[in-house]
Amino acid sequence: MRLLLVEDNDALADAVIERLRSEGHSIDREADGSAADGLLQFAQFDIVLLDINLPGQSGYDILRNMRARGDATPVIVLTARSEIDDRIIGLDAGADDYMVKPFDFRELSARCRVLARRRAGASSNVFSAGAFRFDRAAKQASVGGVALDMRAREVQLLEIMLDNLGRMLTKEEVADRLYTFDETPSLNAIEQLVARLRRRLEGTPLAIKTARGLGYMAYVTDDD
Amino acid sequence: MTDPRPYSLQRRLLISMAVGFSVLLLIISWLLWTYARTAANRTYDLLLAGATLSVLERVTFDANAPTVDLPQTAMDILSLAPEDRIVYRIFAPEHGEITGTPDLPLPDGLTLSTEMQFYTADLSEPFRFAVQGRQMTSPTGRDWVIVQVGQTLRARNEQQMSLFLYGIGWLAGVSLLGLLFVWLAIRASLHPLRAIEGALANRSASDLSPLSGTPPHEIAGLFEAINTFIAQLARSRKLSEQFIADVAHQTRTALSALRGQLDLGQDAASDAALRDRLSRARKQTDATVHMTNQLLANAMVSHRSESNRLMPLDLRLLVRNTLADLLRERRMRDVSLSFDDQTAPEDAIRINGDEVSIREALRNLIDNAVRHGGAANTIAVRLMREDQDVVLVVSDAGPGIAPEHRAAATERFRSLDPVTAGSGLGLAIVRQVIEGHDGKMQLGTSRLGGLRIALFFPRLLALLLAFAALPSLTRAEELVIHAAADPQAMRPLIAAFLDQYPEQLPQPTITYVDYQTVDLYNDMLDDSVPVPDVVISSAMDFQVDLVNRGMARRLNLLTAILPPDWARWRSELFGFTFEPAAVLYNTNTLSAGDLPRSHRDLSSYIRDNEAALDGRIGGYDLRRSGIGYLFATQDTIQSVQAQRLMETLGRAAMRPYETTALMAEAVAKGEIVLALNVIGSYAMARNAAKPAIGVHFFDDYNLVMTRSVFVPKDAANPEMGEAFVAFLLSDDGQRTIQESTPLIAIRPPADAEATPALHASRSDTSFLPIRLGAGLLTFLDGIKREGFLRNWESTLRQTNAP
Repeated sequence: MRLLLVEDNDALADAVIERLRSEGHSIDREADGSAADGLLQFAQFDIVLLDINLPGQSGYDILRNMRARGDATPVIVLTARSEIDDRIIGLDAGADDYMVKPFDFRELSARCRVLARRRAGASSNVFSAGAFRFDRAAKQASVGGVALDMRAREVQLLEIMLDNLGRMLTKEEVADRLYTFDETPSLNAIEQLVARLRRRLEGTPLAIKTARGLGYMAYVTDDD
Repeated sequence: MTDPRPYSLQRRLLISMAVGFSVLLLIISWLLWTYARTAANRTYDLLLAGATLSVLERVTFDANAPTVDLPQTAMDILSLAPEDRIVYRIFAPEHGEITGTPDLPLPDGLTLSTEMQFYTADLSEPFRFAVQGRQMTSPTGRDWVIVQVGQTLRARNEQQMSLFLYGIGWLAGVSLLGLLFVWLAIRASLHPLRAIEGALANRSASDLSPLSGTPPHEIAGLFEAINTFIAQLARSRKLSEQFIADVAHQTRTALSALRGQLDLGQDAASDAALRDRLSRARKQTDATVHMTNQLLANAMVSHRSESNRLMPLDLRLLVRNTLADLLRERRMRDVSLSFDDQTAPEDAIRINGDEVSIREALRNLIDNAVRHGGAANTIAVRLMREDQDVVLVVSDAGPGIAPEHRAAATERFRSLDPVTAGSGLGLAIVRQVIEGHDGKMQLGTSRLGGLRIALFFPRLLALLLAFAALPSLTRAEELVIHAAADPQAMRPLIAAFLDQYPEQLPQPTITYVDYQTVDLYNDMLDDSVPVPDVVISSAMDFQVDLVNRGMARRLNLLTAILPPDWARWRSELFGFTFEPAAVLYNTNTLSAGDLPRSHRDLSSYIRDNEAALDGRIGGYDLRRSGIGYLFATQDTIQSVQAQRLMETLGRAAMRPYETTALMAEAVAKGEIVLALNVIGSYAMARNAAKPAIGVHFFDDYNLVMTRSVFVPKDAANPEMGEAFVAFLLSDDGQRTIQESTPLIAIRPPADAEATPALHASRSDTSFLPIRLGAGLLTFLDGIKREGFLRNWESTLRQTNAP
């Protein structure tokens, strides 16, 4: 994976680079906001790690410019302020995730992996985590090469959960994506469907977490 | 909670004194008002008395019924109150009404007597009356004749007001002086407070010693309170110093531990030992990071709660988003978290809150639950509505806090469990947030056996505002003008009025009805004729009579456009032209140099030229022409020669004409050679097409009349009427009159083309304007008018007889 780190503190940057390289990623670093903005206009990255408080140009501006150009590269914002506001994490703000300094490096790698998986799944049609594999084109999930026997609804739900890996989806959001306008979704049915899918995925690194009253979130246990 | 606005003691005292003075002033005002009323009545009752006596004196017995020749003096006396409407009535119990307004109210229990009585009664507005009787010898014995004269109260009210204002002005001055002394006294007695102020102001910030000195009794309490506060401040500062010391201690200790582990790691003998040291250093770092975060959060929350950032927000959405965000963290994987909001989904739970602080508080609560209850803790978050509050409850299945420790748990640096070793700031932060929201916090035991924390936020009640739609006001307007004026002259005025109307507004529709003066007067008194918006007439006396009957509306016109004093009455009737009466003569027959210089000379001139002038003098037919009658009656007031002149004219066989135009025509043709008291002469003077006509003015006096206009009280569209009157009197209207009509403006624009003879003489004292006012009512009296006309007719007939 090719990453860009935009961070002006050398010590922190060194540590991040060291950590991510050790995991096999290729990583570039920019210390200046304007330089990073210029670089992003012609170079392609898989993930951008963006500090907010930068010399030259603020992280917000860089992010805004990227999205204005139609650049959909996933961005994780790194900030020293705990009072994160909706300009970054809101629906239309443009950042995919954020981390408050001082962050846990393992958490950072995990978030990067989740983003990479989401992106890879969308572009290559194949999602894999450990022994688990899901082929979107064939709508077929398998573990260690053995195909899983799944009903059509379960496959649909799996697709939805994979598209939103690491994100909390409310029951209503799941229902909206799962059923057409004509069908009358029963929230109860969704609970049962999720329970069935979770049983199918037992033994795979893919897990679905339920938080009653809040919704569902899929994550890959290997990433932790 | 907002602080009440600061106030000044001095001002309070001053205000209460001022209120006291005002009450006094109010009482005195009332007395003064009553006194002024009596004084004004006493003054103006004299006018009524004078008028009544002068009328009474002119009552005579004619054959077998009483009659009266209304004296001009009576009206002139009453006109000393120039703005007031007048009514009168003369009647005899034995003979009924004689003249004037019939059935005017009489005082209760009137006894026939020669004593004058005054009283107030309501007609269309309040009137003050004088009534007096007189016994006269009649063929059948002695009969009573009663004269009743009434006047509206405007002049009295003004007099009363001016007396009142004069008195109250002085009183107010004295009161202000009194207040000044009060102010000085207050200043003096507030001096000790200033001393305290000085002592506090000059203090250095570090000086927290109590104030010294002996205060007066009244402020001993304040003095003591200040000292108590200073003591509290000192304590609080001690606590704050303690906090900083604690922070320093905690941070340094944590960092020392970290450094110790790292030092040991550096010197580690084996890789295994090194890993162990690093692992400990890592744990120590986590604790230090957590503590630093909490310290900063604590500082941030306390800063935000001081800087009042509350805004309406949906608490459920905030809680849901915060929880969803938290759940993404790896340490939350095994926590069983549920969210239960017991409100209908579409029903937002709105509070006035600070999003950032509430998020921080909720994070701390969840964090505490995970930290103290283990990674597999069960946490239940609930949102409920309770009366006026929204309650956020976080329960967990952890160890909880024993009731005896709960009070201490929310204090800073009170971590109750040395093993899980929180920073000791978590609950302190939460408490600070909830206090910043005017809410409260309750600690208890959850059903799961752990801690239950409930945060109560005051609920925000929605306000509904209803806006009523306002009707549009832009419909086209209509203006109805009833006028006894030359339509040729009025047309350019109406066109100019429409021209100055803003284009974006719909043009008003104008209905113009042309009248003769008498018909207009009669129609105005006829209830069945619809009331117009504007009434214009050249008959000044009729207009005054209509206004005197209370039919006109008061107009608020700009002072700058008002006509001269003589051409306006009661802010209701306004003259807009300047029209002198003149002598017209045929220039082929008479030469200007021979014409008489004064009214006195006119009689002798006619007698001297009897041959040339016999049957060739024209005048108005007084019975048919309102203007003629007005000029003729005014002449009798101005000139003692009037009766003699009338006789002379009768001998010279004066020919009566109904209108000005006919008379001018006759002069031009040479049918007559001299026309007297002609209005509209200016037009002829300007008119080069009639070269045979000359205009002549006298040196002693020349009467001037004005066309006048008013807006009736019952007009359908009085605003439009007022706009039209304002236009007639405005600079634009006056310029139009001067330049586009045969009339002469009453207030001609400075640069207007001058009509040489008139313009030059405008300031000439020989031009004698007839004043709009109650004085014009004398000759409208039925008996008076009939008498005057009979006299005129008989003079003409008698002397005309061959």
